[in-house]
Amino acid sequence: MGAPDKRDVDDLTKEFLAESQEGLDRMERCLTELESRPEDAGALVGEIFRAVHTIKGTTGFLGFERLEKLAHAGEHLLGSLREGKLAVTSELISGLLRLMDGLRAILKLIEETGGEGTRVGDDDSELIAELAELNGTAPEKVEEEAPRHELAVVGEAHAEAAAAKQAAAPSAASSAGSNDKTLRIDVDVLNRMMNLVGELVLTRNQMLQSGMEAANFPELARRLDSVTADLRETVMQARMQPVGNLFGKFPRMVRDLARTCGRDVRIEFSGQETGLDKSLLEAIKDPLTHAVRNAVDHGIEAPADRVLAGKPAEGLLRLRAFHESGSVVIEVADDGAGISMEKVLKKAVERGLVSEEQAQSMSEREALQLIFLPGFSTATAVTTVSGRGVGMDVVRANVEKVGGSVELESKIGVGTTLKLRVPLTLAIVPALVVRSGGQSFALPQTALVELVYVPRREAETAVERIGAAEVYRLRERLLPMVWLGRLLGLEMSASEESHGFYLAVLEAEGCRYGLVVDDLLAPEEIVVKPLSAVLREIGLFSGATVLGNGTLALILDIAATAARAGVKPVEERVEETETSEVKAHAESEMQFLIFEDRARERTAVPLNVVERIESVPLAQVEYAGGRALLQYRGELLPLTDEGNVLAELEADNASDVLATVLICGGAGTGARTRTGMVVRRVLDVSAGAVLDRDDATGGMELAIVKEKLTTIHRDFDTRAAAWQEVA
Amino acid sequence: MKIVGKDEMEQIQDENDAVSLCSLFAGGESFGIDTRKIREVLGKRELQRVPLAPAMIAGVVPYRGEVLTTVNFRALVGMGEYAETGCVLVLDDGEGGERFGLVVDEVGGVVTVDRRKLEANPTTLEARAKWLFDGAYKMQTGLMVQLDPQKLRPSRLTETGLFKQGTNGRDA
Repeated sequence: MGAPDKRDVDDLTKEFLAESQEGLDRMERCLTELESRPEDAGALVGEIFRAVHTIKGTTGFLGFERLEKLAHAGEHLLGSLREGKLAVTSELISGLLRLMDGLRAILKLIEETGGEGTRVGDDDSELIAELAELNGTAPEKVEEEAPRHELAVVGEAHAEAAAAKQAAAPSAASSAGSNDKTLRIDVDVLNRMMNLVGELVLTRNQMLQSGMEAANFPELARRLDSVTADLRETVMQARMQPVGNLFGKFPRMVRDLARTCGRDVRIEFSGQETGLDKSLLEAIKDPLTHAVRNAVDHGIEAPADRVLAGKPAEGLLRLRAFHESGSVVIEVADDGAGISMEKVLKKAVERGLVSEEQAQSMSEREALQLIFLPGFSTATAVTTVSGRGVGMDVVRANVEKVGGSVELESKIGVGTTLKLRVPLTLAIVPALVVRSGGQSFALPQTALVELVYVPRREAETAVERIGAAEVYRLRERLLPMVWLGRLLGLEMSASEESHGFYLAVLEAEGCRYGLVVDDLLAPEEIVVKPLSAVLREIGLFSGATVLGNGTLALILDIAATAARAGVKPVEERVEETETSEVKAHAESEMQFLIFEDRARERTAVPLNVVERIESVPLAQVEYAGGRALLQYRGELLPLTDEGNVLAELEADNASDVLATVLICGGAGTGARTRTGMVVRRVLDVSAGAVLDRDDATGGMELAIVKEKLTTIHRDFDTRAAAWQEVA
Repeated sequence: MKIVGKDEMEQIQDENDAVSLCSLFAGGESFGIDTRKIREVLGKRELQRVPLAPAMIAGVVPYRGEVLTTVNFRALVGMGEYAETGCVLVLDDGEGGERFGLVVDEVGGVVTVDRRKLEANPTTLEARAKWLFDGAYKMQTGLMVQLDPQKLRPSRLTETGLFKQGTNGRDA
């Protein structure tokens, strides 16, 4: 594409362009650092000088005179700076930044047209004069230089102007793309890849020669597997780019923005070396730029206000990148005014996004989510409210498009933190394969919240209707149901009626809904293949993949499916507030784990305090000071044994007896101490109603669970604390 | 694969006029596509249907690390569904365009014909067929309609708007 336009750009020039761009990127970083850390001026100026000098040297060699002239003027100025004749001032840095812009513009022109071009207005004499002035040289010198400059250019002007005109229009649009399409790879990585491909070929040859029946076939298959995995990893690695590449442009942007907004902002980075797939890096460029702009423009207050608030006049913007549970998190944190909850709610009510009552009952977290609603961002007036929210829906949509998510935290007067969470790569995603209407579909795991199986006997009662809309009661919250088969117009198989159905609870772009499918297949790491334009137009599928059994499955676009089915984020939020009230009423109704400890007595613990159920060999239970203890994951757990189960088991005298231990954490109270509870056997998990507290049983409560009387334990924390004191 | 039309080949005087066509069959009629435009004949393949896709799309099939969109030839010419599994041909127009598949009932053999013997479409032909067909060769067994892979490209087909009606949601 566009290759014919660039026939003038030979390999040497291409290399020069790439090198110069890198040099200028370095220069940009150094320039902004120079301003914030004048004490390191020596090293930084040296670096900048080298970048400009290299450009100048190579241009002379390649015959780009206009570029050489400008670079020369810059080098001259930098020379004086290096020798300490000049002091670093804000004007000087602005001048150097303009020099950089000038050089960039010419480089871009060379990339597009093959020549440095002299369209009308392509005149650097003004800039050169400015640089000379900064250098303290008399302007006359520039004047005698200027005509010469023009003369030099006129010669090539005609040829170049024609080319420039031709190429300018189409390449302007594609120019951004052309740079994104090339990638610099470490030769070592490439060599490793080549090695692995060689290995792959060898393995294939051996497989072909030995055939399926051969004795060493399993071994060959294993080798193939490991080679494939290695190759995949290496290719991924080659696609990885440090996030620093993306961060690099922010110092300049923040500087310019801070000046126009009248702010004083320092920018700090960490984790620049964190690698991210190149395509993802491109995808989050815009959302991140937006977030940074928001932070400077609206997050950080004017210096005077900051001083009044008792903060340093200079605002701090921190960009952090780090790995967290298989994804990369990019954090934009400012120490600005934060988001005022009242104002957000007020605005939301004004805009009719939520009702007055809903606003009242909203938690801080829920209120913050309002900022991501599309309606919230359209008006300019919002900027005066809280700052954040200008196009935040777009930010979230863009990040979610690549399988990521956005989180927002804010504290009034302390600052705001925006977290963009993106997967490491787009090419391979974990997914759950489901079946509907006899076809397989893949659901990205990132959007999957939970799975619910509705057995046949419950299928009829489980689905409730509000008007024509079907909902499912999931833990007392109404979940809109979307039947995948019906949505896609698939033929319903007769067998579907015979067993129940599965409900995949999905969440995307703030919409939560239950997708009804016939069957669940295995979770798989799928390789995403693009679909042709005709099929992309359908809008519901983000790609296709070949499953382990060789068949194809379409990858469902969770957000688009929600939109097609009419699931709206706003409606969902309304429900959320409604159900939270319901929840409060239903407090006495909760989930219990029911077990037996004393013979024939049913006891229960609230399900949320149970972390795990472990089977522990009796020999592992140790005793200290008459108390049973268990070494569990590097922690010493006190065991409670109400029913003397341990003693009973001990009496059995068998060598490999297992004791069932409930590992209970102090849920909710923040107490970290865990305890183990020895039980005879675990019976069930069920909902039950708590009866009024009975004084006669002390710390015990009684509940009716499944119409049977059950004792409830609730006092782990106190007991554990008491034990701690003893210890 | 038998070589059909050996006799005709002898009649072709100028070698430059010889064209090799791959014969295909759909609903008892025979069609031909220039062999140079055919990348591979995959043979009978089970296709993965794509819900909500236009009716002319037969489905997708894995092909050399890609997901290939296939065009249902029967749907294009307004024939009913083929009861058996169709044959898939992989077509490539060679101009950097998309690769796509064509589903027909049966793939025959290679036929060599004289380019100059191509008869133009009859004026009475309906608009869709007129757009699809390049003309016909008179063979001993009957007429063979020549197809242009360029025009069978899924994106081209949607552009024309001639084949819009209906989706793959069969019950609709």
